[in-house]
Amino acid sequence: MKRLVSQFVRMALLVLAAGLIGAFLAGYSPGALVDERELDHRLSEDSLSALRAAKGESANASANFARYVRGLAHGDLGYSQSNNAPVEGLIRDRAPETLRELAIGLAGSWLLGLGCAIPVGRWRRAWIYDGALSLTAGLLLCLPAALIAYLCLAAGSKSAVVLVIVLTPKIFRFSRTLVVAAYGASHVTMARARGIAESRILCTHILRSAAPQLLALAATSVSMAMGAAIPIETICDVPGLGRLAWQAAMARDVPLLLNLTMLVALVTITASAIAEAVTPAETTAGRKGGSQ
Amino acid sequence: MKHVRMGAAVFLAAIVLAAITPRFWVTASYDAQFRETPDASPSRQFPLGTDALGRDRLSRLFYGTRVSLLLAPAAAALSCAVAAALGGIAGMAGGWMDRAIVAAADLFLSLPWLFLLLMVRAGLPLNVSPAASVTITFLLLGALGWAAPARVVRAAVRELKDSDFLLQARASGCRRSRLLWRHLLPNVAPILWAQFWIAVPVYILAETTLGMLGLGVAEPLPSWGGLLRELEDGAALSHLWLLAPVLLLAAVVGSFQLILPREDYSL
Repeated sequence: MKRLVSQFVRMALLVLAAGLIGAFLAGYSPGALVDERELDHRLSEDSLSALRAAKGESANASANFARYVRGLAHGDLGYSQSNNAPVEGLIRDRAPETLRELAIGLAGSWLLGLGCAIPVGRWRRAWIYDGALSLTAGLLLCLPAALIAYLCLAAGSKSAVVLVIVLTPKIFRFSRTLVVAAYGASHVTMARARGIAESRILCTHILRSAAPQLLALAATSVSMAMGAAIPIETICDVPGLGRLAWQAAMARDVPLLLNLTMLVALVTITASAIAEAVTPAETTAGRKGGSQ
Repeated sequence: MKHVRMGAAVFLAAIVLAAITPRFWVTASYDAQFRETPDASPSRQFPLGTDALGRDRLSRLFYGTRVSLLLAPAAAALSCAVAAALGGIAGMAGGWMDRAIVAAADLFLSLPWLFLLLMVRAGLPLNVSPAASVTITFLLLGALGWAAPARVVRAAVRELKDSDFLLQARASGCRRSRLLWRHLLPNVAPILWAQFWIAVPVYILAETTLGMLGLGVAEPLPSWGGLLRELEDGAALSHLWLLAPVLLLAAVVGSFQLILPREDYSL
């Protein structure tokens, strides 16, 4: 219960901190005090001064922040100047595409990454298999996600496949270490000596003992997938949240970018909180004790 | 494995040497335009051909390597310095200061840093010079990447704080500054060194991603990200020489990863 409360407090703090940073950026970023409509020569002097007054008002960081928090309490996420639409609607329109891509990407990369790591632990002498996989994973880790997206796009692949290719090496590399360590434990040797089936050893000994770290990795992989979604969606021209974030950065639409960053951070923290909540309490206590 | 590491170190040293002395290897400047030969195929004069503006690709690759290979370590050094300061303060001071720094590090770690980088980059001036843009890009990378190493440094300092040799030094009346410089820092230095080597390839890849998205180093200054934007139109499969920056990037980042001790990859 205490852990859940601390996670909620952490999430609330994040929202407030991100809001404050965003309000500051929106107020002091270059060009923030100029409205493009001021260049319209058809506007009267009164209209221009009204525009300037409105802009001057929005430059106040503390007032911006207070307004943002007030709006957030009513479910209003603000207005995107570059898209000329409410932020809430933009996020609602783009989120399904990103969620679909993330679901396929995460499921595929976990199946492939963990699926390739288990035989490495199981057959310790299969060094050619291990070496070939580690080399491929190492090579893919040397390339940025944007470059993999370019190459996959040239080969006609879809964005979800690109995400699988980007995430699998990371998941393979971490889970390989965990699975090899788990298979090397003496109780696994004992279980084998007693003639217990390999499938049972995998489920009851290997995956269970590696579960806390694998869950932590699962939470981290959500964050990795979110980060990779920006270049992949931008290059593969997918109308998702990643592409929206890139467009907002190019158009210097700080309020939209702020909301997207907060949303992504909330998803990441929620994933970590879920991973922590389902991790057995004694493991967490042991880890904390160990780190202290 | 030791030989592989040695080979990677020698390769990196050769690349760094070539990158800081581009005038020995190429005659044209990175921004010199040969207007009569735009989009030229490889030839004796231009071993990697020319780009759409008639600039020598090999020359741009050399200068781009210099930008990426010299500034990524600088950014890594900056983030390690910030991490040493904040992690050291958190570990030594404890109490509310420790909790505040750990909370800030947690906040930074929970935000996917490409989003954070985009947000901060969007708030910067539009009309910056190429030199300023490259400095800003790598300063941002350095300033935003402190959280993970700071946590490692904090854990190490907390462990050292209660060690016998530090207790004895304190009991002997050692001044706080001397404690820090003569006793604490030498013991934390190997950790910082490892964090530095972990950060360099990460920053190289981050700059490449930003450059490929058009948010990195501004033209005409070349960087690996900018050079890789040429692959955008999918011509790489028919013009294989366009893949030269990809091969160099993979070789350099791979060499950095090989230099790292194996245990640094574990969770």
